[in-house]
Amino acid sequence: MRGMPRRIFKGEMNMFRLRMMVTMLLAVLFSAGVSANEPLAGASGMATLDQQTQSLKQAVLELNRELFVLEEELLYPANTQVSVFVSMDVGEYFALDSIQLTLDGKDISNYLYTPREVKALHRGGVHQIYVGNLKVGEHELVAVFTGEGPHQRDYRRGATLNFDKAIGAKYVELRISDRAQQLQPEFVVKEWE
Amino acid sequence: MRPRCHSIDIPDRLIRVTAAILLLSLQSLAVADEQSGTVVRDPHYGEVLFHFYQQDHFTALTHLDTAQAQQRVSNHAFEAELLKGGLMLSWGQHVEAGRIFENLLAASDDVGVRNRAWFYLGKVRYQRGYLTEAEEALASISASLPSELEAERFDLLARLYMDQGRFAEAVELLESFDGADDWSAFASYNTGVALVRMGELDLGARLLERVGTMRAAGEEQLALRDRANVALGFAYLQAQLDGDARPVLQRVRLNGPFSAKALLGAGWADSAQQNYKAALASWLELSNRDLLDSAVQESLLAVPYAFAQLGAEPQAADHYAQALDIYSVELARLDSAIDDADSGRLIASLLAEDSSSADGWYWQLAQLPDDERSRYLFFTIADHRFHEALKSYRDLVMLDGHLEAWSEKLAAYRDMLATREYAYSERLPVLQNRVQQFDLEAMQTQYAEIEAATVRARQSGDATIVAPADEQDAWQRLIALESNPAFESEQAAEQRHKQRVLKGLLQWNMEREFRLRLWHQEQRNAEMRVQLAQAEQQFASIDAATGSLDGTVDDFAGRIDRLQAVLDGNRNRLAGAMQQYERYLTDVALTELDGQKQRLLTYRAQARFALASIFDRMAAMNEREQ
Repeated sequence: MRGMPRRIFKGEMNMFRLRMMVTMLLAVLFSAGVSANEPLAGASGMATLDQQTQSLKQAVLELNRELFVLEEELLYPANTQVSVFVSMDVGEYFALDSIQLTLDGKDISNYLYTPREVKALHRGGVHQIYVGNLKVGEHELVAVFTGEGPHQRDYRRGATLNFDKAIGAKYVELRISDRAQQLQPEFVVKEWE
Repeated sequence: MRPRCHSIDIPDRLIRVTAAILLLSLQSLAVADEQSGTVVRDPHYGEVLFHFYQQDHFTALTHLDTAQAQQRVSNHAFEAELLKGGLMLSWGQHVEAGRIFENLLAASDDVGVRNRAWFYLGKVRYQRGYLTEAEEALASISASLPSELEAERFDLLARLYMDQGRFAEAVELLESFDGADDWSAFASYNTGVALVRMGELDLGARLLERVGTMRAAGEEQLALRDRANVALGFAYLQAQLDGDARPVLQRVRLNGPFSAKALLGAGWADSAQQNYKAALASWLELSNRDLLDSAVQESLLAVPYAFAQLGAEPQAADHYAQALDIYSVELARLDSAIDDADSGRLIASLLAEDSSSADGWYWQLAQLPDDERSRYLFFTIADHRFHEALKSYRDLVMLDGHLEAWSEKLAAYRDMLATREYAYSERLPVLQNRVQQFDLEAMQTQYAEIEAATVRARQSGDATIVAPADEQDAWQRLIALESNPAFESEQAAEQRHKQRVLKGLLQWNMEREFRLRLWHQEQRNAEMRVQLAQAEQQFASIDAATGSLDGTVDDFAGRIDRLQAVLDGNRNRLAGAMQQYERYLTDVALTELDGQKQRLLTYRAQARFALASIFDRMAAMNEREQ
């Protein structure tokens, strides 16, 4: 008598097991990560929405471009504009922390770099540290680099550029590179034509 | 009731790993460009790379777009286009990306640029569903791509074959690939799972076995290996190959994010071979874990099932009763989550902790909101379509925030222009008044006279012309004496003598100083000439500024008004699109939550039924014993 209900019970659980297994299999196989680039299909409404979104993003991008151009022309007209960029070439002998910029004796920027930004500089990125306006004539730019130099010592070095601002935008690059023979960093100030 | 663990550790880790796998393809762009070793020849291109390398892709794209419009990246024309196309593609802008790559192919002879453009064009076409054209584009690549792109090319080609039903070709292709491990494993896993889903177990198993036994480096690869083993194990279980399933599932790490499913499957494999004690060991371990995992939910039924099979019906009844309590609590929580989803709060909470940081479009839900309700959505969030829609929604929210910030700036610029106009209107009359006080014309005439006199002095050698005023005055007075009628009289003999002496002295003095005075005068004339020219220039620029001021201010004000109108229009469109995404995401979330609820209801019904059956049997036994 004991076997009868047990058989019924086992039968129910076997069905339960099969159903669960299919459920689980579906959960495993259909869950995330199957395709990284599968488009939003599924519902045709979503495909249309995706197209609308693309067109909208493009419109915003174009608007953004116009806004940037307007902003620059308004705030930094080409005739008076001056931009200072920071770049890094190798940079094994110097770990950059911050740069302080002085233009004609006035502090114009005191920038503290994050590790992520320093990494971007190492990979070839160029940081626009300052953009402003200057009148035509002679000017003096002083950059003070602070960081860690050879042998993990605190390091602070300055570089000066006297330059003539003519009519038209002026681009100045502060370049940190390595002087391999002296095992020392080198700070070069360069004017872009 | 046992205390339940509601930690979100496991789903959180699962999401991280899943998202990491999902995003492998997107990250390839960054890696590829890192390897290209670009030497910056335009500072503004370097500035774009600065943002790109920090994965701040929206800023990189907008700055690149602006720099191109201002012709500031002309030394990197093709690289900039390639970068822009890649950024567009990863931002979901397939149409624009396709246009860029086609233009690049038409314009560039550089083999490296062309091959990468063909690759991206193949990807664009594949994503838009043009499989034949996508294959043609990939076939046009004439040399090996940078390693990461090469791996992605294999993956893309394998998916193309799969979509066209060319399964064996896909498997052969992936088996022949010996490039980057990450991509190879990722592509093999995807293809293997797809084959199993299509009923091609043998082919699928070949690929999944390859991934499931690979040497893994790092958490992502370990998780992928576990996942492949779980998928293969369940594929074997479904095909009644229980003996094959057990060793595959045993390869899954016990502390990994897929261990719950592996334990459940291993239990079923043991159970199928009547080894209920071994099955019980797996399921008991599993039943103490986080209930959020459906494998754990299922184990609450599996444990008493195994006890019952072993004849331990009282223990089975205890576990069924516990399962009933737990399911009821979970169902109440699910109802609360459904209410939240229905009201839109759930979607808002998913983005609440999002910072529009540098993670940009590779944004992922690095962590789920730490509340009881949103945790039920972890499978949904990990679903590609939901994730993509959520990402698009997040992009739109970010763009709207961006436009809102621009709107505030435009208002500030409008004020700035008004202030500038006011300041000019205040200062201009004063300036014009001061300008009018200077008679430039008279000064120029005066200068011309001085210059002419100096020239006359040099030509004639007349020292009186450059003599100082007092000497000239004395000279004139001495000369004037000579025309006086009394000057020649006898009584004036002494005066005539004095006049001659003084005149001689004065003349001698003037002639002695003549050359030096002439030189000084010519120097002064030259300075005067420069100053007059500068004054003339200043007068001209004041005139020009006065004339053009109104035009410049009007021009900027007009542009601001026009852009504000475009901006407002775009924000309206964004609001409409965001609403549609919210609706879609809410519907998907509700469907998922409802599915979970139905599953729990089924489990609860089964637990009740099984418990009743046990009680019936126990009651019948008691009756018989009595």
